[in-house]
Amino acid sequence: MAMIRNQRRHRLVAYSLILPFVAIFSLVFAYPIVEVIRLSFTNATLIGGGEWVGLQNYRELLSDKLFYTSLKNNGYFVLLTVVPTTAIALGIALMVQRLSGRLQALALALFFLPYILPVSVVTQIWAWMLDFQFGVLQPVLELIAGKPIPVFKNPHWVMPMVALVTIWWTNGFNVLLLLAGLRNIPQDLYEASALDGANRRQQFARITWPLLWPVVALVLTLQLILQLKLFDQVYLLSEGGPFNSSYVLLLMVYREAFQQNNGGYAAAISLVVFLLIVTVSVLQYQLLRIRGRK
Amino acid sequence: MEEGRKMKLFTSLAMAALLSGAMPVMAQQQTITWWDFFAGGDGARMKALIQQFNDENPDIKVNATTLEWGTPFYTKVRTSAAVGQGPDVMTYHLSRLPMGLKEGILTPITDADLQIAGLAKDDFYTPALEAAKGPDSTLYAVPFDIHSTVLFYNKNLLKGTPFLDAEGNLTGIDSLEKFEAALAAAKANGSTAPISYATGDDGGVYRVFYTLLAQQGGELISADGQVLPGDSADKAVRAVEIMTKWAENGWQPEQALYEASVALFTSGKSAFFFNGAWEVPTMVDLSAKNELGFEWGVAEIPTLLEKHTNWADSHGWAVPIQGKAEMAPEKREAVMKLIGWMEKHSLDWAAAGHIPAYKPVATSPEFAAMKPNSNYAGLADRATYDPRSPVAGVASPTYDAAVNIIAPAIHGYMPATDAVDQLRAELEKAMK
Repeated sequence: MAMIRNQRRHRLVAYSLILPFVAIFSLVFAYPIVEVIRLSFTNATLIGGGEWVGLQNYRELLSDKLFYTSLKNNGYFVLLTVVPTTAIALGIALMVQRLSGRLQALALALFFLPYILPVSVVTQIWAWMLDFQFGVLQPVLELIAGKPIPVFKNPHWVMPMVALVTIWWTNGFNVLLLLAGLRNIPQDLYEASALDGANRRQQFARITWPLLWPVVALVLTLQLILQLKLFDQVYLLSEGGPFNSSYVLLLMVYREAFQQNNGGYAAAISLVVFLLIVTVSVLQYQLLRIRGRK
Repeated sequence: MEEGRKMKLFTSLAMAALLSGAMPVMAQQQTITWWDFFAGGDGARMKALIQQFNDENPDIKVNATTLEWGTPFYTKVRTSAAVGQGPDVMTYHLSRLPMGLKEGILTPITDADLQIAGLAKDDFYTPALEAAKGPDSTLYAVPFDIHSTVLFYNKNLLKGTPFLDAEGNLTGIDSLEKFEAALAAAKANGSTAPISYATGDDGGVYRVFYTLLAQQGGELISADGQVLPGDSADKAVRAVEIMTKWAENGWQPEQALYEASVALFTSGKSAFFFNGAWEVPTMVDLSAKNELGFEWGVAEIPTLLEKHTNWADSHGWAVPIQGKAEMAPEKREAVMKLIGWMEKHSLDWAAAGHIPAYKPVATSPEFAAMKPNSNYAGLADRATYDPRSPVAGVASPTYDAAVNIIAPAIHGYMPATDAVDQLRAELEKAMK
C-alpha cells in the first residue's frame, strides 16, 4: 500500500515537473501546428475561421505553376549553398586551427562577425556594394563579365548572388562547429601516425576526415534545413524576380497570406514546406550516417 | 452580469471624476484614433494639418499614428479592423478599395455622413469619386487628393530645340514620334538619359506601362475580371515595346531604382522625368536654394498615343469596421467632421504636389495661383485609375508583376509578347 502511494506521489512530482514545459510547448508549438493543419483545409482569410474546403487548397497547389518554380528555385539554392558553405567552412576551420592563441581568436572573430548582423543589415550592405550605378563591386563584375551587371535584376545572376550573400553571412557559425569538431580529435592520433611516417594528406584522409564526419554531417543537415527556409534575403534583395527566377516557397506563403489575405492556401503551402524539410533532412541525415559508418 | 455592470459604472465614474479633476474644460471630448502612411514631406504636412485641427476643435482630439506604407499598412489594417482594434479613421489608396471591399473591412459612407462633414458628392472630381465607390455604387471612402504622374523637364537641355516656346515652356509634343524626337534632341544636347523614370522599380515601371496602355484605350483588367480583354494584350505588347525601344536607344536609364531616377533628373542628366507630382516640392525646394543648376518645368503627361489620359490614384479617407461592434454615432459624427475639415483645408496638402479631389478647393483662385501645381490640374478630369480589382492597386500583384516581369522585359531579357503572356498568367492566377 505504502509502495503504491509512494509511486503515485512520484508520478505526481514528475508530472508537476514537466508541466511547465508541456504547457508552454502546447501553447506555442502544438496548438499552432494543429491550427495550421486545420487552416490548410479551409478557405480562411488571415482573420476568422473560414469554411471547410477539404483538399481544395492542396489540389490547387499541385496545379500551381509558381509552386513548381519555387520548389525548383529552393532546390537550386540548396545546391548553391549547402555543400559549398560546408566546404568553405571546413577550409577556414582547418586554417584557423593552425593559428594559435590571440591570433586564432582574432581570425575566428573576423569570420564570425557577419553572423551576428541582422539580415536587413547584411542585405543592405550587399545591395550597396553591388548597386548597379554606384556599387564598389561593379568594377570587379566588369572584369568578369565585361560590363556592369544589375545582379539582383538579372535572372541568371540573382540566385548565385543571393547564395553568395548567404554564405558570407552564415559561414562563421559553421566554422565554429567544425573547429570544435577538429579540437575533439585526440592529438596523439596525429603523433602516432607521424611516427609511422604518415604525411599531411594521409593524416587528413585517415584521421581528420573520418573523425570529423559526424560534425560535417550535422553541419550539412543544419544547413539544409536553414537554406530550405530561405525568405529574408530574397524578399529584401530581389522580391522573387526577375521572372520569378528567385521566387521561393516561403515568399509564396508570405504573398498569399499577407498580401492576398488567403490564409488557408498559405497554411497549405507552409505545411508542405514543413513536411518537405522534415522529410529531406531526416533522409539526408540517415544517408550521411550510413555513409559515415562504412 | 449585474455585478459586472455596476463595477464598470463605478470605474467609469471614478475615471470621469479623475479626468474632470485633471481637465475641467473638455467634458464631451471625442478621441479619434487615426492611422496614416505618410512619411517625409507628406508626413510633415499631414502632421501640421492634424495639429491645426486639434487646435481649432477642442471637442475632438485626433491621436495620429503613422505606419509603414504598403503591404505592412494594409495587412495591419485588415487584421486589426477585423477584431475591433483598428483605427477610427484611416488614409486609404482608392486603388486598394476593391481589396478592402473583398476583406469586408470598410463601412459605407452615407449621404447623412457626408452632410455632417459638410460635403456633397458633386464636390468631387468624377474619376476620383468613381474610384471611391464599390461595384454597387455605394461610397466607401472620401477622396482627398488626386496624385498622378507628370512630366518634369529640364529647360536647359531642351534649349535650341523646337520643343520650348518663347516663354520656355514645353510645347509641340503631341505624339510618340515628337516625344522621341525630343529625346533624341536632348541626347544631342548632352543629356545622358533623356527620359528618367524608375526603370528597376515596381511603381516607376508600372505607371509608365499603365499610362501607355491607357493612352491606347487598353484595359489591364476589365470590370468583369478579365485580364487584358480583347485587343488589350496587343496594346500591352506595344507599351512594353515602346519602353524597350527607349532602353535600346539609351534614352532611359538602365535598372534605375527610385532614388537614382530622381537623382538623374536633379543632377541635370535627364531632360525629362516621368514621375509622380509628389516630387514637385523636391524641385521647388532645390530650385529655391539654387541647387538645381538648371531651369525646370512640369507639365501633364503629353498625349503620346491615341487618348489624352494618364495613370492616377487618390488618397482618401475610410472608416473601418470596429470588429463586431458599431462605432458610437457621436464618434462617427466627429470622424466625419474631421474629414470635412480636412477636405476644406486641402490647399495645404496640395502644396505637396497633389491635386485636391475636392473641387471647391481645386477650382479656387488660391489653388490657381499655386504654381506649378495648377499647370497639371487639368488631368484630374482625365485620369485613368487602376483596374477595379482586388489584385490591383498599390503594393498589389500588378505592382509585383511590373518589377518581376515588365522591368526585366524592357531591359531585353524577354520579348514583349512573352512578357505580356506571363503578365496575364500571373494576374489570372492571383485572381483565382
